[in-house]
Amino acid sequence: MVNQNDELIGEASILGAEWTQWIRAQTEPARASDRPEALDDLVVLDVSSGSFAGPFCSSILAEWGAEVVRIEPPGGDITRQFSPFGMEHQGTGLAYLAEGRNKLHITCRLETAEGRRLFRRLAAKVDIAIESYAPGQMDGWGIGYRQLCRANPRLIYAAISTYGQFGPNAPRSVLKPDYDVADQALSGLVYMTGEPAQDPRRPQPHETPTKSGNWMGWYAGGAWAVFGILAALQHRHRTGEGQLVDVSPPEALMRFTEDAVLYYDKAGTIRKRVGVVDTSVSPYYFVRCKDGHQMIAGFSDVNFTGLTNIMERPELRQDPRFTTFVKRTQNRLALHAEVEQWSQQYTSQEILAKVQDYMQSKRGPGTVATGRVNSPAETFQEGHWWERGSLTKVEDPIYGVLSMQGQPWKATRTPPRMKWACRLVGHDNAYVYMKYLGLSASKLSEYKKRGTI
Amino acid sequence: MRAKGSKGYFKWADRTFDLREVFDKPEALAGIRVIELCTLILGPATTDFLGEFGAEVIKVELPGTGDTMRYVPPDGWFWRNLCFGFAPQNHGKYHVAIDVHHPEGKELFRRLVAKADVMVENVRPGTMDRWELGYRQLSQVNPRLIYLAATGFGQWGPFSVGRASYDLLAQAASGLAGITGFAGRSPMKSGIFVGDYFGALLNCIAIMAALHFRERSGQGQFIEFSQAEGLMRAMDWTWIYHGLTGKERERSGNRDVAISPSDIFRCKDGLVAIAAGRDTEFAGLCKAMGQERLIRDKRFASLKARLVEEHNRALNEIIAIWAASRTVKEVDALGQRHGFAAAAVQNAKDHHGDAHFRARGAVWQYEDSVYGEVVEYGPAPKLSKTPGRIKWLSRPVGFHNGYVFRKLLGLTSSQIQALEEQKVIGRWADRVGAKPPEDWKPGTGQVF
Repeated sequence: MVNQNDELIGEASILGAEWTQWIRAQTEPARASDRPEALDDLVVLDVSSGSFAGPFCSSILAEWGAEVVRIEPPGGDITRQFSPFGMEHQGTGLAYLAEGRNKLHITCRLETAEGRRLFRRLAAKVDIAIESYAPGQMDGWGIGYRQLCRANPRLIYAAISTYGQFGPNAPRSVLKPDYDVADQALSGLVYMTGEPAQDPRRPQPHETPTKSGNWMGWYAGGAWAVFGILAALQHRHRTGEGQLVDVSPPEALMRFTEDAVLYYDKAGTIRKRVGVVDTSVSPYYFVRCKDGHQMIAGFSDVNFTGLTNIMERPELRQDPRFTTFVKRTQNRLALHAEVEQWSQQYTSQEILAKVQDYMQSKRGPGTVATGRVNSPAETFQEGHWWERGSLTKVEDPIYGVLSMQGQPWKATRTPPRMKWACRLVGHDNAYVYMKYLGLSASKLSEYKKRGTI
Repeated sequence: MRAKGSKGYFKWADRTFDLREVFDKPEALAGIRVIELCTLILGPATTDFLGEFGAEVIKVELPGTGDTMRYVPPDGWFWRNLCFGFAPQNHGKYHVAIDVHHPEGKELFRRLVAKADVMVENVRPGTMDRWELGYRQLSQVNPRLIYLAATGFGQWGPFSVGRASYDLLAQAASGLAGITGFAGRSPMKSGIFVGDYFGALLNCIAIMAALHFRERSGQGQFIEFSQAEGLMRAMDWTWIYHGLTGKERERSGNRDVAISPSDIFRCKDGLVAIAAGRDTEFAGLCKAMGQERLIRDKRFASLKARLVEEHNRALNEIIAIWAASRTVKEVDALGQRHGFAAAAVQNAKDHHGDAHFRARGAVWQYEDSVYGEVVEYGPAPKLSKTPGRIKWLSRPVGFHNGYVFRKLLGLTSSQIQALEEQKVIGRWADRVGAKPPEDWKPGTGQVF
């Protein structure tokens, strides 16, 4: 495949160093706090429970500057206990520590009439509410979108649930809680990921549809909720009216599954798992190397020329199985074996050096992408991320020094940022209930005595 | 939480979100014009998502062959000259083709951007600047411009120079592949371009946050996003765990080590995901299995106890034995009856025939004016007052040249023809993936 666009995507990089310096100076994360925040005029209530889609959603809003009030039941939300091997750090699970960022934490028992009254008063004053209860639960309590929008027509209300707020399965699934593994299963991602069986009559335990190792369903759900909220905000700018945003994490992730349903619709083919190769591009996969695994890609004609030059196997380009883009895709397993035979002789570092040497010396055409398949600990050790702040050490006043994921964006005018990592359950009750509802300390202690907060 | 739903709620919700009324409702991003100079998926999916919610997206490709993704079909299979690798991230756009290397092409591009709100590109760091089409130049033409640059590793930092990137490299570099798959086996590649699609969504979020700021301040800005960093952002407790303990996060297959039970099990007729983190949910699962004694078993008495690694494994074995004698449908029904998560591992065929997904527009059927009847995945979030929608499928290279250049830049037919002759602008090459279907009648689906 000779494609003009290869110049666009893979241009050999004699880059204006000047640009790099300029843009770095504009977006240096250490200077983020000198700049304004994009969403600092917004107040958000996150009353989600049992799912990380909600906290991820409110984390993003908080990173871009919104004041997020996280509401938990008095004992703390169950998500505080989702932690590897049950490990706690000062009483809180590790997953929650990553998504408590920049938020105020209060408690409110929605099961009581008094708690619901407090919530209703808060919701009357905010811009955005996020919840993940069973569809109809909040409505049944009299604090769903139908009721809240009467007092606050500008309210944007995001509801996150596995099966959504409408459609035939919604009413018949209300007792099923939302979990990432179920979201991923329904989305189609699991079906398309993992090792195929070598011998279909005797599949090994690992030769099975495989979920994404992270909580990808929850992240997709949470991020689409932010999308819906921010889109609704644009509509509110023009009309003054809020709305209901219904997010189903399985559908959120399903939207990422490319052409799967279109391909089935037209070709009748169900896309299945293909292990470490790809259905539509080749070479584009993981191969074994001396000291682990390496990602390598060079699938267009010109880039395949580059790769075969680096491999010192130019004759592969004349091999009838590999002469065209489509043939390389169709014979991807045979080609994978050829590339792996080469890559296994070298370490990850040696392969990277060979590729970079080829591209920088311009000995031949083509761009080859390569890199080590890192374990998390290896990623953790790379300075690039720390320099850029995508990994960052937060000195939290309560939880101490925590290494965690920072922001994946940089912005020249309103950079997103990290302020603190997390708060204890109910830590900000006094501040938030005073600020928004004028509740005094003595009033609050009455609520506390009754178990409302 | 347990509730049957309040009276009339679902009827109200069905009415509120009724798909038949989608086109009678306004669009959230109406009036936002987006210029795209992108190839592959990360950039194009960004503008596609914005377009689904009403933004006007003008996709600028190179004349002739256009976006590389036009030639990356599944299993090498094209349909009606259309590549399915290209279609899912290129709906409802206006396709123009400009050679931005050409001085006059640059000028056309600048004039388009002058009239835009948002510009998205995914070329290598510094390239646009060298072409004099970078943020420094374009913000002079249009200070309100929101300019988003998406890359693998970012605009600056040690990895930003001299390294090409793709979705899969982001999966590898981030550590996501390292935590996906089974212990003792190879790190696993996601079956989808997850870094691209998730990254595209994070791009949209940044763009809309910037739009909100512009609403308040009148100021545009430059935003950059790194695909690898997008995936790292979504890796749960991985980094905190390593920072506190120095330990590696190992692959654990489908079994979650932070929620118990949570795994995928083999039934008689397929696979089912089961999860029950809360004690009440776990008790429900035990009842469903007819093994209430497990509720009182010390190993499983609380989530903390269930998360002890050997308890977690033991519990999963118990569930696996039980599930093996059931059908997926039975387990699914028991989940609703007893209050735990139970869901089938679904594939594209399941989605295609699913009445629920169809009623919600998650699976979206429509008749395209060029290609005919198609079924695709529809807009993900459902907005009650400004729902997303699909208007048309992707289009051949330069398909809307006439309309866009006339409407936005006031070019006459003879000017357009002259620019075509100079190869500043152009249309599709005679090539599968770039050109219209063979039975296309010139003019169909085009505005001009």
